[in-house]
Amino acid sequence: MKGQIQVIGCKSCTEIPQLIDMNKLIEKASTMDLVVSTVLVGAVCDSKSIKQVVQEAKEREVDRVVVLACPKKVVNPALLAAFKKAKVNEFLVEYVNIRDEVVLPHMDDPPRAQAKAETMMVAALQKVMGLKPLETLKEQMRTRNVVVLGGGASGRKAAETAAKTGAHTIIIEKGTKSFKAPGVLMQNSVLLKSKGYGGNFVLTIRAGEKVEELQCAAIVVATGGGWTRLNGPLAKACKSALPLYELDEQIRAGKKMEGPIVIVDSPDPAGKSMQVRDYAWDESLELAIELKRRSTDSDITIVFQEMRAFGLSELRYKEAAELGVRFIRYDATGIPKIDPKEPNVVSVKDLAQGETIRLRFGTLAFASIPANDDNEGIADTLRIPMSPDGGIRHGSIQRGPVSTPRPGIFICGSALFPKTKDIAEEEGMVAGELAGEFASKGIIEYGGSVAEVTQEKCSACLTCIRTCPYEAPFIGIANKAEIRTQACQGCGMCVGICPSKAIELRNCTDDIIMQETKTMLRGDF
Amino acid sequence: MTPRRPKIVGFCCERHGLDSPVAAAKSGITYDASVRIIDVPCTGRVDGLHILKALEDGADAVFVLGCLEKNCYYDTGSIEGRKRVEHVRSMLEEAGIEKERVEMFNTSSTMTWRFPEIVSKMCDVVNRLGPLGKEGDEQ
Ligand code: SF4
Ligand code: SF4
Repeated sequence: MKGQIQVIGCKSCTEIPQLIDMNKLIEKASTMDLVVSTVLVGAVCDSKSIKQVVQEAKEREVDRVVVLACPKKVVNPALLAAFKKAKVNEFLVEYVNIRDEVVLPHMDDPPRAQAKAETMMVAALQKVMGLKPLETLKEQMRTRNVVVLGGGASGRKAAETAAKTGAHTIIIEKGTKSFKAPGVLMQNSVLLKSKGYGGNFVLTIRAGEKVEELQCAAIVVATGGGWTRLNGPLAKACKSALPLYELDEQIRAGKKMEGPIVIVDSPDPAGKSMQVRDYAWDESLELAIELKRRSTDSDITIVFQEMRAFGLSELRYKEAAELGVRFIRYDATGIPKIDPKEPNVVSVKDLAQGETIRLRFGTLAFASIPANDDNEGIADTLRIPMSPDGGIRHGSIQRGPVSTPRPGIFICGSALFPKTKDIAEEEGMVAGELAGEFASKGIIEYGGSVAEVTQEKCSACLTCIRTCPYEAPFIGIANKAEIRTQACQGCGMCVGICPSKAIELRNCTDDIIMQETKTMLRGDF
Repeated sequence: MTPRRPKIVGFCCERHGLDSPVAAAKSGITYDASVRIIDVPCTGRVDGLHILKALEDGADAVFVLGCLEKNCYYDTGSIEGRKRVEHVRSMLEEAGIEKERVEMFNTSSTMTWRFPEIVSKMCDVVNRLGPLGKEGDEQ
């Protein structure tokens, strides 16, 4: 590569002309080595300007570009596309965020701002010469399958919406739940292993007695909360106690529950044996009101330490009290207890009256929502992170709403943290749609600024394999590390940690970083 | 003669790290121009070498700015970054250089005040400790 640089200045990004003298900056650029073209445009995002700069770039046979404007994320992508057409490699276009890093924050000190902008430009010119043209590659997705783990409320919705985008959906359901699924429903199935990366995953599933491999483009985790797990002393003392969601289901199915009904917050009020992640207070109140409406003489008591209903649900608290639902608040000095000899009486110290009362009940339910026990296994198999309270954790918010840190894996519903059915369904819809869209791309684009191993230097210490969150590095046939480029996200974590300095991140080498630092430090501002 | 201005290098990740000065700029907060932003894809890319070299090349203080640890774009990136920074700090201490000159910070793209706060904190450190090393040969 010859190195023929074009420098573009954007007037509207550096909108305060009396602060930064863009003309001077561009003039300075034109005196620099290898700069063959300098353009100052009104607004670089404007299609006329784009035409103008690219035209000029073609005439002067430009192969590298420095854009003095705003952040790369903000600049009109049409600029990059136009350069691509003009045969300028997109990885050789360097953006300098003059607007947010100089003009706006240093408006009270113009001379220093000018010097800083100039130094940044010089550093960018040096940097752009160190860059190599890179390619992005494409791999076909082998299938358009979207696998949904879990056939609960969120999972079903996810499968439905994914199917609408044209994906072929497969629901992996642990139990024997049977319902109309848009694609395939595999009952009695669990996920055993996973391989691959977003677009081309290979899952190992045990379905009944059989173990089979399943290819898919995207995965939706919809494993829900752990309603079935009831530990804790109260649940042990009263075998017939059930989680609120089951009680709710049974009542809605028309079953008559034996009164009086007592709803206690947690089966382990002392908080010793289980992690309670949340309480279904909204639902408890709703259910109590519903029962009272059906029959005014139903006897309902809610025993709680702290009640938090969300938003307008707060009003239900009042409504329930007016309808005659009894509320008993306790604290650590008198937690609810059940004597196993008398399994239908709970005794608790009522904070309002200061004395211990005995509540005889026909039905006992718990408003607590424990985490799903399966989460850990699933997170481990798919290599996605857990949150400290036993749920599966979101990816960074910048990756999108129902994302995990791994591209192609989406998550929804109570697997994240407990939530009501409506919200779980909403999330399922979003996750299904995103997974469907992901799968319908049909190709995986990869490459660009990714990691690369110099095998002669590698001592096969496995550090990179342990560090990479995306399972990109692996030990290849030569017994040296290799990078699965399709999975590499270009974060560079393995580069910094490799003890043999055997890995390099393309276009982000140590030399480039240190040279930029040095030039920036040389500037006097 | 005016005292030498502090020179501060900030290695910022391309995600929340670089969004942070943008957020500050959008909300009209100004801060000292001494900071030199060097962009890296993720703070996990930062190597102890980069920090030490920056100090050698004339920086009085260096900070590394990544995503919040629970909200890191590359999941464990900013935790990795912190480890590297801690390593450099312990090396500096052994070499008799104040470890306060090197610091790791986390931020998110909506924390408008965070970047200016970090810059002024690092400026304070330099003002308190003085420029690093070679005062004699620079002036
Ligand atoms: S960390 Fe470096 S030396 Fe170790 S296996 Fe990976 S590439 Fe090889
Ligand atoms: S650059 Fe990041 S994603 Fe790529 S191999 Fe290294 S650690 Fe993994």
